[in-house]
Amino acid sequence: MSAVAAMRRRTMPGPTTIALLAVFAVFVLLFLAGVGFGSTWIGLDTVTGVLLGGGERTDRLVVVQLRLPRVLAAAIAGGAIAYAGYLLQRITRNELASPGVLGVVDGAALGVVLFLAIFSNESNALIVPVAWQPLAAAIGAMTAIGLVFLLSGRQASSAIRLILFGIAIAAVAKALTTIFMLIGPIYQAAQAARWLAGAVNTINWVEVQIMLMVLVPVGIIAGIAARTLPPADLDDISSRSIGLNLPVYRIIMFLLAAVLTAGAVAFAGGVGFVGLIAPHMARLLVGRGRVAGIVMSILLGAIILVGADLLIRVAFAPLEVPAGTVTAIIGAPYFLYLLMRKDNSNG
Amino acid sequence: MDDQVANRIEVKALSLSYGPEMVLDALSLPIPSGQITVLAGPNGCGKSTLLRAIRRLHAPQSGQVLLDAEDISRLNGKALGRRIGLLAQSPSAPQDMTVEELVRLGRYPHQAMMQPWGAKDDAAVAAAMTGTGVEEMRHRRIGSLSGGQLQRAWIAMVLAQETDVICLDEPVNHLDMAHQLDCLELVTRLNKEQGRTVVLVLHDLNLAARYADQLVFVANGTVRERGTPETMMRSDLIEEVFNVTAEIIIDPVHKRPICIPHRRS
Repeated sequence: MSAVAAMRRRTMPGPTTIALLAVFAVFVLLFLAGVGFGSTWIGLDTVTGVLLGGGERTDRLVVVQLRLPRVLAAAIAGGAIAYAGYLLQRITRNELASPGVLGVVDGAALGVVLFLAIFSNESNALIVPVAWQPLAAAIGAMTAIGLVFLLSGRQASSAIRLILFGIAIAAVAKALTTIFMLIGPIYQAAQAARWLAGAVNTINWVEVQIMLMVLVPVGIIAGIAARTLPPADLDDISSRSIGLNLPVYRIIMFLLAAVLTAGAVAFAGGVGFVGLIAPHMARLLVGRGRVAGIVMSILLGAIILVGADLLIRVAFAPLEVPAGTVTAIIGAPYFLYLLMRKDNSNG
Repeated sequence: MDDQVANRIEVKALSLSYGPEMVLDALSLPIPSGQITVLAGPNGCGKSTLLRAIRRLHAPQSGQVLLDAEDISRLNGKALGRRIGLLAQSPSAPQDMTVEELVRLGRYPHQAMMQPWGAKDDAAVAAAMTGTGVEEMRHRRIGSLSGGQLQRAWIAMVLAQETDVICLDEPVNHLDMAHQLDCLELVTRLNKEQGRTVVLVLHDLNLAARYADQLVFVANGTVRERGTPETMMRSDLIEEVFNVTAEIIIDPVHKRPICIPHRRS
């Protein structure tokens, strides 16, 4: 009976649980290392002590005020973009789909650049609360994916068409971003260019709090909506035949993925390829299971971005290379590898 | 055909177009309850579109489809999914999905937020897998199945929906002869033993004549003629609909008419 099999799946720590625990352990280690590493090395035991509420005053100051926001932001942003990537890959039934490929990252970035250009005064200070920044990113992200969706028209279910339009929209958003940076104030442009390439080095606690306030509720809603992903795995006719309102469901998932991406990009910048690689690796590690797939994607996304940020500080210090550059150097070949592989995602 | 048989589905003056192209032109067709109705016709005649319109996968420009005298446009998607099942012409699922996972998706229209998976769902899935003979391979991945096994797994998914009406769009297209017969015998058994109303699109006219209670010739988006295979399998009618000259003989084994095409007319 299937009930027996289902029970066994739930009670025994299968390979999925072991993989999740192992990856979680890697994440914790990398996170602690990310906090510990800097101009002065703070030992992992000290970092752990501080995080658990102990530690000396100077250690506390460095860890809590300087290091922690940066590493936390990297973890949250990486996890959110990977989550968005997971949703997009499932709903388009294509492993090449991701927030970057579908133009969502660049759309969000354009939203933020416009926001900075419009709402800054002469001394480059924002004249509105920074909490509005994710909203600008979300508007940009949703506009981008909305355009991709509309332009694909009747063939919106064809993943390749979506991706082609996504790449085109991404290119347009990038070009517009460049134009607005050129006609914007020079100082701001230099700062924006760094942010655009993905940077978590300047993040403070307020921004981390805003990220969490946006991403946690949206993440929970997406988790509930994701319960309907399995019937959407079938081809359009079959999924609609069993009663799924696929066109509406697809739009809901696109919007949720756009907001998740926007919440991350708003402060962490345009970190590319995380949303492509993490869900794909998650699938290799834990298979098709929805909950395990989402958790694994988030963990891997966090690992990639925290790892990239750490690598920058270890390998390039004192240069602050944007984190997005590192993820792109790893991610682009991975994308090429996926492109060259025979597509066997659905058939 | 028995006049007493109620019509499970009634297609009334259904018109449907893709853009400027008219696919169904005021098509009307009764589909009797508990029978096998086979739609046949040349390529592009609209038979697959008709099948999908019966399941409301296409919105018609005008006309209606009645299911038990109720307009299907008034039913929500899940309600319709509990009453009409449809197997697509070339369905696809992720290669690493297992047979059982696929069949369980057939229960989707029966589930709701407040009504999670239950014993009834397990029973329906088990019955669907037994009925199609796929229970042995329920842990196998879709990608590892042969064409015949795959088709049975998909039919099991549709059966798990427990619908009174089952529509199959060219279910034997990619199967060899043995598996074509397997598949259609399975459909016939479901029809005879469980009284399910079956609507099939078939390309092979001889298979259509052999399994149909009601045979329907669709041409140019409308029903050219319908009736029992005996009344439909006439050389003049076949020439008109399919553009081939043909001779009709009676199959000595099944006593059904079969058509031997001569040449294109």
